[in-house]
Amino acid sequence: MSNPSSSPATSAPIVEIRDMDFSYGSKIALHDIQLAVERRRVTALIGPSGCGKSTLLRCINRMNDRVPSARVTRGAVLVKGKNIHDEDVDLTQLRKQVGMVFQKSNPFPKSIYENVAYGLRVHGENNVEVLDDAVERALRSAALWDELKDRLQAHALGLSGGQQQRLCIARAIATQPDVLLMDEPCSALDPIATLKIEELIHQFARDFSVIIVTHNMQQAVRVSDYTAFLHLGKLIEFSPTELMFERPKEKLTESYLRGTFS
Amino acid sequence: MAWDMQKLIRSFFASNASVTIIVLLLIMVFLMREGAGFLGTYKHELEIYRKAGLELCDLVDRPLAQHQDLSSKLRRAVTTSIDPLIQSTRARRDAAFYIKREIEQSTTLPREALTQALEKTPALDPAKLDQLRRQVASETAAAAATAAISNLFSAEEVARLRREMSLLSPEVTEMPSFLTELSAAFRVMDKEAKQKYTQLIEASDLFEEAPDSLRAMLSELKEDVLFTKEAAMEYFTLEEGRQKLLKAAEVATDLKEKADLLAEAEASKTEEPNYQENLAPVLERREELQEHITQYADSITEALKTLPKTGDVPEATKLLAEVHEHMPLHVQAMRKSLTEIKEWQAEKPVSIITVVGAFFFGSAWLTNSSWQDFFGFVPLLAGSVVIALIAIVIATPLSVAAAIYTNQFASDREKEFIKPVIEFIQAIPSVVLGFIGISLLGDLIKDMSEIPWLSGLPGFPIQERLNMFNAGCLLALMAIPTMFSLAEDALNNVPQAYIDASDALGATKLQTVFRVIVPAALSGIAAAVLLGLGRVIGETMVVLLVAGNRIAIPDFGVGPGFIFQPAHTLTGIIAQELGEVSRGSAHWQALFMVGIVLFAISLLVNGCARAVVRRFETPKA
Ligand SMILES: Nc1ncnc2c1ncn2[C@@H]1O[C@H](COP(=O)(O)OP(=O)(O)OP(=O)(O)O)[C@@H](O)[C@H]1O
Ligand SMILES: [Mg+2]
Repeated sequence: MSNPSSSPATSAPIVEIRDMDFSYGSKIALHDIQLAVERRRVTALIGPSGCGKSTLLRCINRMNDRVPSARVTRGAVLVKGKNIHDEDVDLTQLRKQVGMVFQKSNPFPKSIYENVAYGLRVHGENNVEVLDDAVERALRSAALWDELKDRLQAHALGLSGGQQQRLCIARAIATQPDVLLMDEPCSALDPIATLKIEELIHQFARDFSVIIVTHNMQQAVRVSDYTAFLHLGKLIEFSPTELMFERPKEKLTESYLRGTFS
Repeated sequence: MAWDMQKLIRSFFASNASVTIIVLLLIMVFLMREGAGFLGTYKHELEIYRKAGLELCDLVDRPLAQHQDLSSKLRRAVTTSIDPLIQSTRARRDAAFYIKREIEQSTTLPREALTQALEKTPALDPAKLDQLRRQVASETAAAAATAAISNLFSAEEVARLRREMSLLSPEVTEMPSFLTELSAAFRVMDKEAKQKYTQLIEASDLFEEAPDSLRAMLSELKEDVLFTKEAAMEYFTLEEGRQKLLKAAEVATDLKEKADLLAEAEASKTEEPNYQENLAPVLERREELQEHITQYADSITEALKTLPKTGDVPEATKLLAEVHEHMPLHVQAMRKSLTEIKEWQAEKPVSIITVVGAFFFGSAWLTNSSWQDFFGFVPLLAGSVVIALIAIVIATPLSVAAAIYTNQFASDREKEFIKPVIEFIQAIPSVVLGFIGISLLGDLIKDMSEIPWLSGLPGFPIQERLNMFNAGCLLALMAIPTMFSLAEDALNNVPQAYIDASDALGATKLQTVFRVIVPAALSGIAAAVLLGLGRVIGETMVVLLVAGNRIAIPDFGVGPGFIFQPAHTLTGIIAQELGEVSRGSAHWQALFMVGIVLFAISLLVNGCARAVVRRFETPKA
């Protein structure tokens, strides 16, 4: 277990995971995780399939709540210094702060506009001007505005796969979250669409933190400032991306990165 | 070998599918064949209807039918006006007579014994008679003393009543004086009241008698034309039989048999009536008929002038207003018949379009009539459609809400309970539902409609226990399982990814359900509703038992309360009449036409359901 050695932390971490154990019923999925995600940085989660990347990501916005027997059995998850499992935490507010983009694009069967406006609407925003502004801002941030500004009322499912995924990103950032969770957002996309999304992630890091799960090492190198390597539910190594890819501290990390992993 | 086996299995399934399709095609062909003859047969019947002159009579008779409705309104206006004035005296008289009858009834035994004894010859021993008389007197006195007397009478009157009643006996033929007085008082009152409303009563009488001469003449004409028509019908029946005999003779091999058949055919040969000749005397009286109509129209216009515009009670005012509103229309219709009579031609051919129109747009389904059968399909369609809509309007919110609850909010244990229970409704035989409609729901609705504070609802209080609303409720119950299951499936099929996305954006459960899941399932829900509609339109037993089976277009003019009127349906009429009509008759064929239309409607509804699903299906990503 390593902590980022050159910690440029000027402020408190936006997400902090402290000594967390997580299990699905009797099956322990994550064990003793410690992780501090910095503000305005991109953090990549890598690791072999089934190691618990998605589970870890879903711990941060409590998406695991829906799985009946799933729970955090030890430790805590803090977002902006607040334990998200505290009694007084409003789940809807938490999810407003922590947005999420899924592996498979999943726009609602509604218009483009309604997709982007959805998050604001469910948080009680009905003012048309505010919504219009927010939709435009989100679409611009997702580099969709120029393509779609003339057909905001068109059905979202008529867009291409890459556009749909960017629309989902626009939808997730329309509520101006502090953290954006992305679970393999490019795995179903072609290289060009992937590239576009990677560019977006770079830009997002100016405004908020991004935590991205990826199976693509190059992608991790390209987009992330920090990388966490998970294996069998344990956080093996967590360090600045360059450092990890050049000089991994752990044997396991090294063999995984070299591809000589069994 | 393995390949053969595969082929065998394949052809087994293929043949099953094709059997189903072939059977369906056969059903369609059969329906078409039986129904197709209808237009020809009906055309022929309508031709006779015209040639024999029945149509001419109907030109007058149809508008004249309104007279009855209007005159009953006037009569009701008269009674409702007079009633308040005579009510109390009448009630007193009736109450007194009621008491008398009660006393007489409770003393039936001694009274009869005395009557019989008096009739005996030779006369009985006077002592014995006296004893019987005493018996009657004592029992009558006792009954009169204890009889319950309503509070319409003052204490003195009660005493007098009891006194006079105690003297009742079979031997006294005279009415007790108090009763005579009460009757006289009523007569006076009645006369006074009628005098007060002379104008109204006179106008009403005038109106009532106005069509008498026209009716008399019309019925003479009707008799004539009906004679021709019946002769024609008989001719065609015999002719048909004769053709059959001739055909049989053609194929007969035995010479004697052949000769017999031919002789029989010859014997049944008759002449087709000469329509023109028969109709000539009727046509000659055409002008006379027109005069009668004009006279009638003039006299009711006259009566209308003297008819007061308002009454002293709201009910009468309402009725009078209605009469004043409808009467000019009636007059207009009568006058219009004048030109129609003039222009009417017995020889004009009946076009096939007329026949098609008479079926699809005909407002009367009239069978086994001694005058003329009509096969107009609108009343049945209207009944079916209204009942189906009532059912859908009731069933849709119930089943969709139940589906949403079950699919989204219910715990697993609740689901295990709700689903089988709702699906169990399907297992109730429709006949049993019919029982419930007749014995339970009908009474329930009727009793409810009589609750005073509900009387403001449209159509309340209702007249008929068996009506479209009742049938609609039961059909809703029958449609709920189908609609619930399909709607629940539709909700279930909403991709989890949508729900994930909504959750991740911080939506609450309710928001996710109503902003994402239900809209995404809407096409499936719409299809569920349409398929429920298909199920309801085709349902027969319940409507036959519960809808009231009155063949008439519902009177939509009364407002939303029309749903409490009885009606007949496309399915009900087939079930009811098909067993009783002779094969191949126009009536039989008409029922098959109804079947074809029903089939078409079902296809259409199912097609729509499919189209809805396809049109709104969310493209799979
Ligand atoms: N809902 C669940 N119930 C029970 N076990 C689960 C559930 N979801 C995931 N798991 C288990 O938890 C472990 C971690 O799963 P997770 O989905 O987090 O892996 P991952 O690293 O995201 O894998 P991949 O790269 O294939 O997406 C796996 O062993 C998986 O089988
Ligand atoms: Mg995963």
